[in-house]
Amino acid sequence: MWRKAIGYSLPVIICLLLLLIAIPGCQQAATPTAPKTTAPATVATATKPTTPAASPSATAAKPTKDKIIVGMSRPLSGPLSVIGDSAFRPIYETWVPRVNAEGGIYVKEYGKKLPIELKIYDDKSDVGTMTRLTEKLILEDKVDFLWPACGTSFLFAQAPIANKYNYVLITAEGGATSLKDMLPSLPYVFVSLSFSDWYEVPVLADLLAAKGAKTAYIMYIADLHGIEYSGVAGIELPKKGINIVGIKSVPPDIKDLSPIIKEAKALNPDAFLALAYPDQVMPATATSMELDFNPKAWLGGPGVNFGFYHTAFGPAVEGVLGWTTFARKSSPKLAELADILYSGKPEETNDWWGHPLYWAALDMWKAAIEKAGTLNQKAIRDILATEHLETVLGDTWFTIIGGGGGLLAKECHPGEVGQWINGVFEVVGPVDKATAQFVYPKPPWPKK
Amino acid sequence: MNKISFNYSKLLLPGILLAILVVLATLPLYGSNYSIVLLTSIIMYVILTVSWALFSGSTGYISLATAAFFGVGIYTSAILGRTFTASILANEYFVVFIVIIGGLISACLAFIVGAITLRLRGIYFAIFTFGLVELIKNLLLWYEVKFTGTRGRFVVVIGNETIYYVILGILLLLLLVTYFIRRSRYGLALESIGEHEEAAAHIGINVTMVKVIIFAISAVFVGMTGSIMAMRWTYIDPYISFDPNLTFLPVLMAIFGGTRQMYGPIIGAVVFAYLEEILLTRFPYYYMLIFGIVLAATILYLPNGLVGVVQKIIARLAGGKHAHSRG
Repeated sequence: MWRKAIGYSLPVIICLLLLLIAIPGCQQAATPTAPKTTAPATVATATKPTTPAASPSATAAKPTKDKIIVGMSRPLSGPLSVIGDSAFRPIYETWVPRVNAEGGIYVKEYGKKLPIELKIYDDKSDVGTMTRLTEKLILEDKVDFLWPACGTSFLFAQAPIANKYNYVLITAEGGATSLKDMLPSLPYVFVSLSFSDWYEVPVLADLLAAKGAKTAYIMYIADLHGIEYSGVAGIELPKKGINIVGIKSVPPDIKDLSPIIKEAKALNPDAFLALAYPDQVMPATATSMELDFNPKAWLGGPGVNFGFYHTAFGPAVEGVLGWTTFARKSSPKLAELADILYSGKPEETNDWWGHPLYWAALDMWKAAIEKAGTLNQKAIRDILATEHLETVLGDTWFTIIGGGGGLLAKECHPGEVGQWINGVFEVVGPVDKATAQFVYPKPPWPKK
Repeated sequence: MNKISFNYSKLLLPGILLAILVVLATLPLYGSNYSIVLLTSIIMYVILTVSWALFSGSTGYISLATAAFFGVGIYTSAILGRTFTASILANEYFVVFIVIIGGLISACLAFIVGAITLRLRGIYFAIFTFGLVELIKNLLLWYEVKFTGTRGRFVVVIGNETIYYVILGILLLLLLVTYFIRRSRYGLALESIGEHEEAAAHIGINVTMVKVIIFAISAVFVGMTGSIMAMRWTYIDPYISFDPNLTFLPVLMAIFGGTRQMYGPIIGAVVFAYLEEILLTRFPYYYMLIFGIVLAATILYLPNGLVGVVQKIIARLAGGKHAHSRG
């Protein structure tokens, strides 16, 4: 009988032991046995995860603070890793070493420059894990700052957490009208990316109307992004006298787009908008070529704005429209940024939409800390909310929504609508910021 | 004499369980804030795994519908949470009420699905249940796009401690139910179905009814967990709610721990979830690689899971003792 009892109880004891390990374990195992992958403090880069051992010093020894610890929950694995690895990751992996090479960020409170150290966790593209790790960064690691998770729906879940603990959160990948609607209740959240009605689709409507477009066909992906963009297009285009002759949603995993393209071709619209992701925009382009559907304006995005779109289709991309922010000709500073980010790298890495805005977001963060002279979240939040700061975009500020959080002011965007012209993704709208003339109608697809 | 030792052994297991429970229940008093968050997540996996093993472990029917029941719980919480105001939700009893409704709706779904499909065998049942996850996800997506004009929903946020206690309560309930089912005639019926279904039918067990009822009972806890976790995640959409990972992870965790004993899935889930946490935070760039190696090694070298290893050790120890005493 005793044997039986032991047989039952031993595994349970093991279970209990594991729980006991778990409790102190999550109180941060700040032991020296932690894996030593720490980068030297002065040149800490994102590619090297830092030891948790570094974190308790963040708050414990304020007067002798020697670095700014920034925590992030990023999709290093899982479906979102493709987006995360090409959007915000190359930006922080370039930006942080550059700032650290200059000694870091000057914080008056400490009377010296503090280098940035990144503490990055993998949320495996799972919202539940992301929310948990965000709370770990705040509660357990007590990081000085929080940088954003990847993707609009992740921001929906992360923004309320950051706000609850009064952590400034400047977002990267993601932005939506519905997020804008939440901002009045999220004073610590600042959205950097441009999106549908901020201020892409209204600019597109102006561009098309000025050229005399009368009809448009919309294909959109049946998710947050597509619903939002098609909804905004459904309002903005008719306002400018452009009639929507057809609108179709497609599931994210659609393989054959020919029925949609055939339907669009039969309706013969002036403009065709593929409001979807690269996985749909790429086949939509190929199918349009195959079926020789060549409307006067063909827009797809996100997708067209990436270098890989040009690499994939070559000269056939001439005249294709997409969402954008900048081109090399936008300003000398932005040309320099393009050199920093893209020189000597394959064209596939180019992203003419998000990259400068994420870079500007980090510039804003740095400038706000320097201006505040402290790492106090409230003080930095107030500066971000009220002041104009100098970034790669020039004079930059956030437009505050309903007294809460902010959106990177649309006046600061160097562009909204781009077009492939002579192999370069140029800004064509708004007209006063254009780096090239809008080509309308677009040239025909190349004949096979 | 015999009687006394019998009583001792009877008391040992409940005693240890009680000790664990006391530790868990009092944790918010002395544990760090994050330990509650982490344990909530670990307990979630334990519930999903034990619920899965309750039905699939004993009958051998591989159900891949966990994510469907979980998602139904999440949506129950999201929809009810929107119906009622935050002030009502501040009342913790009301949170429990929503959680119970979530569990019941999941059970109804499981009952209907079970009644239709539990006549299917083997791989067909597995495929159907997985199809169910995709079906509900796409149906909801279509509904949200078509009628509500949005994709995701916000769920009312409640305190971490409330969530922790509710999920702990669900775990306790699940363990009690599992314990009693395993010791009831239903448990024996399930075992015999797992061993040989025709034989079970021949000795007079209403196999379909037993399967459907246990399937529905296991779904109650999954649905309840979904309801309470939605309040932690704050924002949900069909992709988040019906994530196929939530179907596969419990299966892996149960195999990892071993499905033969009741505590196998518990240990599997706890070790698995904690290991995941360590890998995600300490080795974020190698998480997938290490995790894959651990899984492959488990399947290759620990066919009976962690519990199998423990039992082997115990058997060896006990065997050694016997040999000694005999000698």
